[in-house]
Amino acid sequence: MRATRRRLGLVARNVGIPILSLVLVLVLWQLIVVGFHVASYVAPRPRAAIDAVTQNWSVLWPLVLGTIRETVYGFVVGAALGFFLGVIMAKVSFLQGLVYPVLVLSQAIPIIALAAPLVLILGFSTAPKIVIVAWIVFFPVTVNVIDGLSHVDRDLVNLAKVYGASRWRTFWQIEIPATSTPLFSGLKIGATYAVTGAIIGELAASDGSSLALYQEHANSNLNTAAVYGTTMVMTAIGISWFLLVVGVEVFATPWRRRTVARRWPWRRGRDLADR
Amino acid sequence: MTDALLALREVAKSFGDTVALSPTTLDIAEGSFVAIVGPSGCGKSTLFNVIAGLLAPDAGAVLLSQRDVTGTTGHVGYMLQKDLLVPWRTVEDNITMAKRLTGRVTTEDRSEARRMARAYGLGEFLRHYPSALSGGMRQRVAFMRTLMTHQRLLLLDEPFGALDAQTRLEMQQWLLQVWRDAERTVLFITHDVDESIFLADRVIVMSPRPGRVVADFANPLARPRTLEMLTEPDFIALKGQIMHLLHGGAA
Repeated sequence: MRATRRRLGLVARNVGIPILSLVLVLVLWQLIVVGFHVASYVAPRPRAAIDAVTQNWSVLWPLVLGTIRETVYGFVVGAALGFFLGVIMAKVSFLQGLVYPVLVLSQAIPIIALAAPLVLILGFSTAPKIVIVAWIVFFPVTVNVIDGLSHVDRDLVNLAKVYGASRWRTFWQIEIPATSTPLFSGLKIGATYAVTGAIIGELAASDGSSLALYQEHANSNLNTAAVYGTTMVMTAIGISWFLLVVGVEVFATPWRRRTVARRWPWRRGRDLADR
Repeated sequence: MTDALLALREVAKSFGDTVALSPTTLDIAEGSFVAIVGPSGCGKSTLFNVIAGLLAPDAGAVLLSQRDVTGTTGHVGYMLQKDLLVPWRTVEDNITMAKRLTGRVTTEDRSEARRMARAYGLGEFLRHYPSALSGGMRQRVAFMRTLMTHQRLLLLDEPFGALDAQTRLEMQQWLLQVWRDAERTVLFITHDVDESIFLADRVIVMSPRPGRVVADFANPLARPRTLEMLTEPDFIALKGQIMHLLHGGAA
């Protein structure tokens, strides 16, 4: 009973407080617009922005799907590439010295400047957007994986060696789980930037129908409510993606929050093995 | 030739100009409990790392059951002062870690791990993560993981060094009980002379600069060991001899 109450309290705190802060932002927005008599073509009231989204949802939805697709594909490609690069560079110090400066250089290039050549190479498809998202996402993943792998407890690796473990087993059973915290930090940073990358890609390399161009179109028509509404939609995509990554992290690293392992239905046979 | 489980033949190791271990020859009988005492820098950990295969000696050979295992790994159980439990695995999965690293964890392995944990007071904690355990409990899990390597020779490097005095005494008694049940050969490093005499059949004393064996005592105390023995004349006499070697005329 008490445990249930405590769990409910925890859920209320973890979900309730963020919702409350969101509501506060909307209230503050309303107060500023109304209180300072801001003209509606400068900044709409929250209600107008929300209406601009809901009333045009049938037009917006396919564009939203497009942005989500670019974000997800780009994130997956970037995260996989970042992980792979991080592992290779952590394991081969010669490569780390050779490749690291190039990676830093890659991040110093303004993404906008990257878009033009990408369009020339890949055309106005989804591909250049995926490349831009991946370009942004891979870097924090690589840096964190290198950092994590180079800080794995040497004694633990030696213990595995004494037991006769192969390097491959040691890597998957010891080094990778030990790197989970920095790995997920990198993924979370990447997740927050992924949508921004997709929007930049849509702005710089779009042939017509995209969320970013929809917003630009609304802007040139002085449809400020739609501009704000589209921004809210983009933000919602970004937050959802971030929360999804956090959800995966929570699921994948139960030992950080729990003292006792969860019982999974598909593992019941194993648990009952000797009873 | 020798019928000892472990035989070191003129094993030596230097790091640069520092002689960590001067040529050392030792025979460890099957089923015995041998303690090694000595101050830091006497080469005891180097000796362990050479036996375990983490370090290749500059000279000499390590024979296990008359087989040359010099510079190779995978033939001993090994435990340090740091418990080295992995936080992402439950107690049960930590106990079976060696099998997970070298082969497949079978249903029998799991049953054995559970039997062992229940027999030695950790049955309630099989599904717990290590973060939920006390220092003494963690060391017990680490020792069970060492037993589950199924190696005949166990190297324990100051396993109770980080525990408080009370817990350490409990752990020593616990270890003797488990050792009797498990019928393994134990090589036990410690800097605690009382601990070495209380646990071992044989106490080897090492000395630094250069690291070497300076004495090898047979322990006259009978088994099973009891706490009363800690104040018996035989115990005090052996302790006096070892202390004299460790601290010279000053003691």
